[in-house]
Amino acid sequence: MSLLSVQDLAIRFSTGDGTVHAVNNVSFDIAPGEKVALVGESGSGKSQIALSIMGLLAKNAQVSGRILHEGRDLLTLSQDALNKVRAKKIAMIFQDPMSALNPYMRVGRQLTEIVELHEGLGRADARKRAIEAMEAVQIPDAKNRIDAYPHEFSGGMRQRIVIAMALICKPGLILADEPTTALDVTVQAQIMRLLDEIQSELNTAVLLITHDLGVVAGFCDRSMVLYGGRMMETAPTKDLFAAPSHPYTRGLLRAVPNINDAAGELRAIPGSPPNQLRPLTHCPFAARCVDAVEQCRSTLPELTGEATKRACLRPVEALS
Amino acid sequence: MFNYSVRRLLTAVPTILILIVFAFYLMRLAPGGPFTSEKPLPPAVMENVLKRYGMDEPLHMQLFTYIKNIVCCFDFGPSFSQKDRSVNDIIAQGFPVTLTYGFWSAVFVLVLGIPLGIIAALRHNSFWDYLMTGLAIFSQIFPNFVLAPLMVLLFTLSWGLLPGGGWNGGQWQYIVMPAIALGTSYMAGVARLTRGSLLEVLNSPFIRTARAKGLPERTILIRHALKPALLPTLTYMGPVFVYMITGSVFIDVFFSTGGIGQDFIDGAYSRDYSVLLGLAIIYCVLTFSINLVLDLLYAWIDPKVRDSL
Amino acid sequence: MTSAKARLQSQAFVEDVAEEMLSSRSFWADARARFFKNRMALVSVFMLFLLVLFAIFGNVIAQWSYEEIDWNLLGMIKEEGGPSIANGHYFGVDELGRDMYARVVQGSRTSLLVGFVAGIASVLIGSTIGAFAGYFGGRFDSIVMGGYTIWLSVPYIIFFVVWQAFFGRSLGQMILVIVLVNWTAGLLIVRGQVMMLRNREFVDAARMLGLSDVAIIFRHIAPNILWVVVIYTSMVVPEVIMMESLVSFLGVGIQEPNTSWGALISEGASTMTFGTLWQLAFPAAFFVIAQVSLYYIGDGLRDALDPKDRL
Repeated sequence: MSLLSVQDLAIRFSTGDGTVHAVNNVSFDIAPGEKVALVGESGSGKSQIALSIMGLLAKNAQVSGRILHEGRDLLTLSQDALNKVRAKKIAMIFQDPMSALNPYMRVGRQLTEIVELHEGLGRADARKRAIEAMEAVQIPDAKNRIDAYPHEFSGGMRQRIVIAMALICKPGLILADEPTTALDVTVQAQIMRLLDEIQSELNTAVLLITHDLGVVAGFCDRSMVLYGGRMMETAPTKDLFAAPSHPYTRGLLRAVPNINDAAGELRAIPGSPPNQLRPLTHCPFAARCVDAVEQCRSTLPELTGEATKRACLRPVEALS
Repeated sequence: MFNYSVRRLLTAVPTILILIVFAFYLMRLAPGGPFTSEKPLPPAVMENVLKRYGMDEPLHMQLFTYIKNIVCCFDFGPSFSQKDRSVNDIIAQGFPVTLTYGFWSAVFVLVLGIPLGIIAALRHNSFWDYLMTGLAIFSQIFPNFVLAPLMVLLFTLSWGLLPGGGWNGGQWQYIVMPAIALGTSYMAGVARLTRGSLLEVLNSPFIRTARAKGLPERTILIRHALKPALLPTLTYMGPVFVYMITGSVFIDVFFSTGGIGQDFIDGAYSRDYSVLLGLAIIYCVLTFSINLVLDLLYAWIDPKVRDSL
Repeated sequence: MTSAKARLQSQAFVEDVAEEMLSSRSFWADARARFFKNRMALVSVFMLFLLVLFAIFGNVIAQWSYEEIDWNLLGMIKEEGGPSIANGHYFGVDELGRDMYARVVQGSRTSLLVGFVAGIASVLIGSTIGAFAGYFGGRFDSIVMGGYTIWLSVPYIIFFVVWQAFFGRSLGQMILVIVLVNWTAGLLIVRGQVMMLRNREFVDAARMLGLSDVAIIFRHIAPNILWVVVIYTSMVVPEVIMMESLVSFLGVGIQEPNTSWGALISEGASTMTFGTLWQLAFPAAFFVIAQVSLYYIGDGLRDALDPKDRL
């Protein structure tokens, strides 16, 4: 039984230049307690998927498909019903802790308002819970720091507060949208370790959205690779790293600097991301794919396979 | 915060002093004076008059005496053109008038402008939104000195609803038109700015965070969005008050309210040094105090600024 | 307009547009295309053009000069002084029996001349000071910013009235005092722009070539901030016209018999109780047309250069 089931999700934005096809018929499931990565370059539509789950897409977005959670389709819920899911059942960690917190409000208040809303706690109880949440994300001296404003914290500490906000109601699913991108490398590691600890303690499912394969490797059970708003490959993380099946995944892995492979060359994928103003009629990666054949430019492959699924006519293992 | 206020006051004092010195010499070195007229006075009379007003002494001594009298006794000296009236009398009589309708005008600007901007931002492209755009253009086209005659034309001459001028001890009928004519264009400005900044704030990441918490829109607006959205408006109010003071000179003249604006213009015509200087000081003190209050208000809202004070 | 200025001076705007301008080569082409798509702006340009033509050549068809008194009408201005083709007073006559048409032509000349000359001069001076403050920073910058802050908190009318009363009221004086009052026009935004640009590679390159600071500012930085000076000017010009009209209304503006829109509106407003409404209507109409046109031109320019902020 999956916790969240995304089916045939498509997201389009109408802009001044035309319709942008940001996400094209993406489907995936997340099981309770599972740690899943959604990997892709910027513009691949990965953040939009998270926002569509939360119902936070920009106003000019059109969504189709279904997002099933506890037997209900989140896309059809009323605003009030959706508000009862947000933070309580599904919480989100945002990319930039500098801007995700309200700079004009004490961090304590930003935490307490969540439990006051969803659990009906009074001021004093809510405050106690906020301190607990801050302690859970290892903010030193939480009792006193609770009355500080966001600008009085460092970037890493702020991201801890954002995480505390996501965790305070102990939701079943956390969507972490590039939680470490805006931070220093050393702080990145701390935050990921923290997330890992908390995840195993609460057994919360996590959808980690990132462009950083290094972060994925240490954290996630399963990885999904997105390109041009299309799911390219999904596989257990170990398998994905050991034997990528989609040429795009292979290219992505080669572009990651590897400390064990200092002699190996670092190769960027040639070409640039696809033009999303046109609806997809063929594999979006075909134009940049070294293995592409004529058929790749005319058909749109489906996601197929067992443990490893890929949407490719000429997967890597078939060629070697 | 207290230290900051003190520091600000301490910088205001020399600023005003510089302004006094500058204005003093500017007026004195210009050709002509309060006693220049078509028929020159006989030299003996002239000498007497000059002596009476202390103008036979060297300029810097006069300046010194002037400043000394203000500092020690709050005495702005006698008026040169209005016999038997001191500048203190003029200020005591006119300043309350200008302050009264100025206050109501500011109330009008804020109480109408801010809600209008908020509604226009929330109901993007609705009737209110268009009303506001219209108002912004309207205020651009009809500045107070075009609006005021128009209002008199309609409300006084055509419909006879409101008196076209005068003060009459400050009854409300006499305050309405001056306050509205003075405030309309700034009301539109405040509305437009509030709308713009609220739209921007509502699109900011921390509002998205608030939405992700499941808070209802109303709570988000009141608890999260309003404060930051009003900060630009607050900044804007500083120059607005200065503009309103400028406008008040016109309002005083046009509506014959008896405020200090009329005295100021009369003073300019008759080269009444002490009236001009005294009123200029009052105007400056007023704007400096308003700006200080606004700054403190800003700091009170924005914790980052508060810490830096 | 002041709120539009606030946006123009905000850090966000400065960065948005500078970024967009530097990053996209078609910036100017796009801006021009956007401006020409803006129908209101185009109509306004046309209207302003007509106004300028009127101010320059309007006298050709005038049958009276602007200071001449039509003695035939004196004493019965209310009855006979209205607009009429027959007696050659297309816009009627004023309280003294002078031809309103010729006076409106003259008033348009004064107001437009003052608006454009003083407006452009103020922006040039303010921008130059701002550019130097932004480029050199340090003590010079803090002095300029200190002066700027203080100046903003002094109601300009004080200075204006005193100056006008004591130094005469010729056209030249008027322009001079407006420029003095407006020395801060464009200062803040240009300063912000220059502060951003001074650390760019092309400025470093110019410095390494041994160019003097002044040459760098005028030859390398100025072209990049030209656009902002242009929009700012489009906002300052109507403001200056308004300023001139206000002081003329107060009676400390331009000297009679020369006139301006503000002076004419003032005369018209003071006589409207007598029922001679044409004395108010014609100058007010011209003033309004000018303000509307300039508003939409400024708005169009702003939209064209800063499409992110369509209010």
